[in-house]
Amino acid sequence: MENAQLVALSRQSILRNHLDVIANNMANINTSGFKSQEMSFVEYIMPVADGTAFEPADREISYVDMFTTRTNFEPGTVNLTENEFDLALNSEGFFVVQMEDGTEAYTRSGAFQLDATGQLITANGRPVLTDAGAITFAREDGLIEIAADGTIATELGIRGKIRVVNFDDVRTLEKVGDTMFKGENPVQVADARIIQGAVEGSNVSGVSEVTRLIEVTRAYDATSKLVKDLDELRQQAISTLGRIQA
Amino acid sequence: MKALHIAATGMKAQELNVEVISNNVANMRTTGFKKQRADFQDLLYQNLRRMGTETSDTGTIVPTGIQIGSGVKIASTARIMSQGSLEQTGKELDVAIRGEGFFQIDLPDGTTGYTRDGSFERDANGQLVTVDGYAVNPGITIPETTQDITISNTGEVQGVDQAGNTVQLGQVQLARFVNKAGLEAIGDNLFLETDASGAAETGNPNDNGFGSLQQYFLEMANVDAVTEIADLISAQRAYEMNSQIIQAADEMYSTTTNLR
Repeated sequence: MENAQLVALSRQSILRNHLDVIANNMANINTSGFKSQEMSFVEYIMPVADGTAFEPADREISYVDMFTTRTNFEPGTVNLTENEFDLALNSEGFFVVQMEDGTEAYTRSGAFQLDATGQLITANGRPVLTDAGAITFAREDGLIEIAADGTIATELGIRGKIRVVNFDDVRTLEKVGDTMFKGENPVQVADARIIQGAVEGSNVSGVSEVTRLIEVTRAYDATSKLVKDLDELRQQAISTLGRIQA
Repeated sequence: MKALHIAATGMKAQELNVEVISNNVANMRTTGFKKQRADFQDLLYQNLRRMGTETSDTGTIVPTGIQIGSGVKIASTARIMSQGSLEQTGKELDVAIRGEGFFQIDLPDGTTGYTRDGSFERDANGQLVTVDGYAVNPGITIPETTQDITISNTGEVQGVDQAGNTVQLGQVQLARFVNKAGLEAIGDNLFLETDASGAAETGNPNDNGFGSLQQYFLEMANVDAVTEIADLISAQRAYEMNSQIIQAADEMYSTTTNLR
């Protein structure tokens, strides 16, 4: 009987984490380049005392545990912004950003801008990398055109190419905040399609998140009901079995 | 359960988003206004199970971990410096810039302000000033008797004096920046130079990448009503959905409290 309560508890604590994941998706419903997450669960079978000697044998108890938070890499909608340094990726791949510690991070959010020196940076001030590292524009560059394949053409001619990379297995990418991912062994994407003057919106779907939200709250209610019923059952058992009959 | 706080960051972000949108809409008919856009980013992640950790002696690893985010933050309110449409006004001291550049304005505190709003006037001394009475830099004085003022697309200001002779009155100069989105808006359609914008470079209109001038025209705001309304709807819905999360988290808490 106590086992049933523990199983219910495992479900409840995981539902709380699930709600956190939904809340994070919902909070980022307007975050450009954000990729939603889904939580997957796994059945965790509690090893029981070896009951083979008995007939019938002990039943295994299955708890529920978190397995993974899978990031959904489906593309978000492309929103036109007219800003010349807003870039949206209309293909697979990631922009490459240089972090403060010199390592590379990867992002789908192409809301870039220039700093005082004319360097192309993210909204956090981290340089965006091209084939030849970070790029700095001067006044003489004038109008900047970024072609679909990432080639940067200005009035001074071709200035480089925006680096777009992909990974063999995007599931291994780790979210590090600021809409960035960390990953290993990036591969250059040959057929990237960049749209200048647009950003990729969040791929969070409000409807499915609300549906999941309802699921979670109802499941939580149901599990709580179970815990309550178990409690009553136990109370009844105590009062019935504990009665001393003269 | 962090959901309450995560949803709160979401609501706060959308609140700011609505503020930015409402400022854009409020300035839809403001001459030379440049719209802003709120950019968001996700916050740090908590790794409950780190990907890549070993799960056995034989070297099997966790392919995908468990990462739980902590909400959203406002990364920047970027200003979109695209060209606004030009509207004919028929007023001879109205000037619009087509292309790159800002008019330079001498502010009362001695600093230089920059604006795309070219609705100029003459003050009591005949000096070319903004509607707030701040002088245009370099100063241009138009004598009272001068008529038929023309401002060429290269910024030359000419007039006809009483005798019917054409006289040169001055030259309008423009300023431009490496990163014009980094200018600080101070209201009254004015911008100030900042560390982020870089230093101003001045020059004559239509010269070396500077925009050209258009007399009798004003540059309208670059706000597009349809886009703003669409953004407003999505911001409001996002706000509602985040409040749903708070309600759900609250219900779950109350369920727990009512267990006994």
